[in-house]
Amino acid sequence: MSAPARDNSARDNEPAKQLYLPDFCTGRAVLAIVIICELTAMVLALARNEVVLGFWPDLARTSMFLLWIGLFGAGLLCVLRGYLNRLTLPKGSVIVLALTAALVAIISSVAYFLGSRAGWLTGSALIPDDHWTFLVRNVVITFIVTGLALRYFYVTHEWRHNVELQARARVHALQARIRPHFLFNSMNTIAALTRSNPARAEEAVQDLADLFRANLSEKRGQITLAEEIEVARTYQRMEQLRLGERLRVDWKVDSLPREALVPGLTLQPLLENAIYHGVEPRPDGGVVTVTGEFNKGMITIVVRNPVPLANLTVRDGNRLALANIKERLDLMYGERATVKSGRFDEEYIVTLRFPFADVASSRS
Amino acid sequence: MSLRVLIVDDEPPARERLRSMLIEAGGFEVAGEAGNGEQALNLVDSLQPDIVLLDVRMPGVDGLEVARQLATNPEPPAVIFTTAFDEYAMQAFESEAVAYLLKPIRAEKLRSALAKAGRLTRPQLQQVASAAREPARRSHIGVRGRDGLKLIPLDEVFCFHADQKYTTVKHQKGDDLIEDSLKVLEEEFASSFVRIHRNALVNTKFLERIARDATGQHFVHLRGLPDALEVSRRMAGDLKDRFRI
Repeated sequence: MSAPARDNSARDNEPAKQLYLPDFCTGRAVLAIVIICELTAMVLALARNEVVLGFWPDLARTSMFLLWIGLFGAGLLCVLRGYLNRLTLPKGSVIVLALTAALVAIISSVAYFLGSRAGWLTGSALIPDDHWTFLVRNVVITFIVTGLALRYFYVTHEWRHNVELQARARVHALQARIRPHFLFNSMNTIAALTRSNPARAEEAVQDLADLFRANLSEKRGQITLAEEIEVARTYQRMEQLRLGERLRVDWKVDSLPREALVPGLTLQPLLENAIYHGVEPRPDGGVVTVTGEFNKGMITIVVRNPVPLANLTVRDGNRLALANIKERLDLMYGERATVKSGRFDEEYIVTLRFPFADVASSRS
Repeated sequence: MSLRVLIVDDEPPARERLRSMLIEAGGFEVAGEAGNGEQALNLVDSLQPDIVLLDVRMPGVDGLEVARQLATNPEPPAVIFTTAFDEYAMQAFESEAVAYLLKPIRAEKLRSALAKAGRLTRPQLQQVASAAREPARRSHIGVRGRDGLKLIPLDEVFCFHADQKYTTVKHQKGDDLIEDSLKVLEEEFASSFVRIHRNALVNTKFLERIARDATGQHFVHLRGLPDALEVSRRMAGDLKDRFRI
């Protein structure tokens, strides 16, 4: 008898067709097992007895019996999990079925032996008179229940695996998505600078290369905040060439811990959106403010840009990038990370908040 | 005599590059440069260039809107669009045989586009705009005054009122005279303006109520406009049915 436990290792990169068992060693799993055993015992006791008469003693015996099986089973699978999860699906399933059946057979025999010694057998609904009937019946039930449980674990695991894959695919899509308009405009700027200011053209080519490297990087995942800020600043330099004085970016990020880990492309897309929606459509341009705060182990980054003037062409929404950043912060920091955005008066404000973690703390 | 070209682009490096390419190409004179749509329309008025190199994406009044305004000129210049990447606009230019150049622009393509450049017709522009997912109608009304061209956002226009020869635009910042006839305006802005009289077209966005005086004459009140406007007998019924006022 096993209970669905919280799956803590959804991020493991195992191939799909493997046995998958959740971790039975956690407090949550043990609690779930106890509850399921008690509920099952209640169902069995209710089904077997006239109300009142014989119910309580039967419930007590049944739940004790089931708890033995449940907790011993959980202990066994907890110890063997590392080995079992490396097996292929058919082989692993057969071994788990055999193990639980053996366990149930042993516990049933012990229960029968103890029960007959204590004289509980007479008139008990739990344990029939015949030892073999009791044993065979329990082993058959075990096969059915364990088989169903394994199927359940496999299906939920597959489902989680798919959700993970989809999330990763979206990350890739975002990373591959430098706005084509940005690329061609940058090329045009570089073409112009090649004539008028070759030194700046050279810098621009280097900046563009760095931006593409950040976007195409295979070591996506985590980078330091200092690296991410540098990517964002590089992006700003490219846009500055194009937009000139219309673009101003006010950086107030000195108080941020440089070594904090963030998912790659967290800040740069926010700056890109701020410029694309808040500065480019305004004939007089505007100021983007990036503010960073570090307080009580939490990092807060706020990006503000002016709201495009009414009656100007409204550009496509930026929900995709925001949802994507939120998703990746969630994967890294769970519920402690938040992403908020909204319009306040004449400004559009995005706020990121996540706990501080550096390389040292994330290893331990 | 060399052809006079106006360069319109919001990005300084892009203008700079076009300028030097035009000089190298020979046979062209750069009449001027504009950094936004409004400036462009004013310079077209004052400089009367032969050709306008027009960036599609600009803040405020964009390239397509500039072209729509130019198409109302009696003698508009030839227009060549320039664009970095606008999928829809590009398809539209392709299908309507409108001259356009992709940035970064190649010298030989610039030369051949300049040689072929022609005036844009209104139907052509309407096709381009609808393919580019922009409304085909203008978003501003251009008014030529002493101090150059003024653009009035359509959202701020209360009504058009026709006199003997001219049409008056009443808008949130005052009144102005334009040359477009009421008939043309009614066709172009049918989605947001409604005819209330032989000589008046009102913005439905500002409609407040219809009143009737002792003689049975109907008047329309617009939000933000102090004067009531006369409604002809024929239009009063229609108006009431349509807006339930």
